[in-house]
Amino acid sequence: MKPRRVLAITRRIFAQFRHDRRTLALLFVVPLVILSLLYYLLRGGGGQPAVGVVNLDNGPLGAVVARQLESSSQVKASQIDLTTAQSRLRDDRLAGYIVLPTNFSSDALQQGVLRPEVHLEGSQPAQSGTVLQALSQSLLAALGTLPSQPGLRPPRLDLRVTYLYGGPQLDTLDYFGGAFIGLVVFFLVFVITCVAFLRERSQGTLERLMASPLRRGEIVLGYMLGFTILALIQAAEVLLFSLYVLKVHNSGSVLLIFAFEALMALSAVNLGIFLSMFARTEFQAVQFIPLVVAPQLLLSGVIFPVSSEPTWLQAVSRALPLTYVVDGLRDVMLKGADLSWAAIQLDAAVLGGFCVLMIVAAGATLRRRVA
Amino acid sequence: MAAQEDHAAEVTGVVKSFGRQAALQGVSLRLRRGEVYGLLGPNGSGKTTLIRCLLGLVKPDAGSVRVLGRLMPDLNVLSRIGYMTQTAALYPDLTVLENLRFFAAINGAEAHLTEALRFVDLEDRPDSVVATLSGGMRTRASLACAIVHRPELLLLDEPTVGVDPQLRRRLWDQFREMADGGTTLLISSHVMDEAERCQRLGLIRFGRLLAEGTVEELKEQAGVEKLEDAFLQLSAGEPR
Repeated sequence: MKPRRVLAITRRIFAQFRHDRRTLALLFVVPLVILSLLYYLLRGGGGQPAVGVVNLDNGPLGAVVARQLESSSQVKASQIDLTTAQSRLRDDRLAGYIVLPTNFSSDALQQGVLRPEVHLEGSQPAQSGTVLQALSQSLLAALGTLPSQPGLRPPRLDLRVTYLYGGPQLDTLDYFGGAFIGLVVFFLVFVITCVAFLRERSQGTLERLMASPLRRGEIVLGYMLGFTILALIQAAEVLLFSLYVLKVHNSGSVLLIFAFEALMALSAVNLGIFLSMFARTEFQAVQFIPLVVAPQLLLSGVIFPVSSEPTWLQAVSRALPLTYVVDGLRDVMLKGADLSWAAIQLDAAVLGGFCVLMIVAAGATLRRRVA
Repeated sequence: MAAQEDHAAEVTGVVKSFGRQAALQGVSLRLRRGEVYGLLGPNGSGKTTLIRCLLGLVKPDAGSVRVLGRLMPDLNVLSRIGYMTQTAALYPDLTVLENLRFFAAINGAEAHLTEALRFVDLEDRPDSVVATLSGGMRTRASLACAIVHRPELLLLDEPTVGVDPQLRRRLWDQFREMADGGTTLLISSHVMDEAERCQRLGLIRFGRLLAEGTVEELKEQAGVEKLEDAFLQLSAGEPR
């Protein structure tokens, strides 16, 4: 063991990093970006689910409970009327609404029963749980404000919960399953295409292709077809495994899920070809993984709902293709959405547009790099 | 038109710079049909850039390139050109035959696979994966891929670099054989002794064609016995 020789290797590694500015940037800039994103996602204050409170109570207790809910730090509650609450729940602008019925106070005082109705959107188990938790805390706090009457038992809770989608049987895997079906396929396809196309360049065969009658569009389309077919087989496998082995909840059409995966595979393939133009080595191509993966993992709504992000981050999320994949897959699998839904049409249209954009971009960069 | 068709390729006053680096500074040359033309020059003299201009892969800053009667770049003429890159550019994870079939298919000519294999002596190794072949075999497989569509013009960029003497001799015999069959060959090289087997030579240096002619003509022009001396003599005093 000679320290000189060991140090020679160390010194050479630093010299290589000095020549590879991009890797240095990745090493020192990307962690800060990712941590900042996490900061905004977790501390941005947008994390509370929106809740509507419909107070129909003829007595005094309903107003007290409503005030308690409005001051809750767990949810963003506001008093609205019943029809507004119903329409907002359908539009995905509320995680749920709570109805305090006309005889809420009298039931509580005379029968010793609290009978609030809770109507949940239901597709996000974590949000549903938060709403229910906030409600029970507000009820307790409301009861605490009542003048204490000796000998009176605290009223018991008779909670009626309805779910617009899904239901109490929906678990965390059901919620994440749909998104991850998209995520897994997207990244594997992206990485494989990116590296394969880069190898075409580094092994010199791209030069040969360019010296043949092949047109640029033919090269891009040929790649697209090959990798898309592979990706579709993978997508089908992942989908069937999730639905029938892992029993992830699905209330929509399996074919529609597959159609979304197909669109997503197409965009992943073309993104891979496009980005491979900006890498000189396979090492640099691998660096695209954190650049492409990390922001999309955090911002596409896979883990944190896009609606809970600060407004400026939502704009970023809207620019990422995976956002639309996740949104579409969740709508189909959890809400049973079909092609007649405007949200599904929008998701599909944006993904289709992204595919076209990437195909054009890949074709254009291919010319630039060869000429 | 008939006059142009006598030439497989015509390069006229081609200038090309990459940034501040001048690669070609006004090169003109003509390839006659059925000849073996040697493009002789040291590394970095502009040989590869000239070949890429002939293929239309590089757009000249000035001047024009006509190949097989067509003004380049022209995709349609590329199926009549064969091109062998400096390194054996093949798909390492495919077999010899799979590589060959692919390059035949993109040129729209899949009829002569076995013939091409036989020509480069690989008819007993069609199913070998390229990554497992020796360097010499890879060069031969690469040549097979360049000729499988029976091109009229064959551009070979330093085909004999890193090739042992036996195979080098064999390759030159094959080049000769192809030329006798009517194919025009442009072969770039920086090795003088093998250049003697070309019918005509062009000496290129610093992106300029310094001299052109048969081996005898060049020696005479320089007044020396050996081609190597002729090259040094003719390129001496050329400003950068």
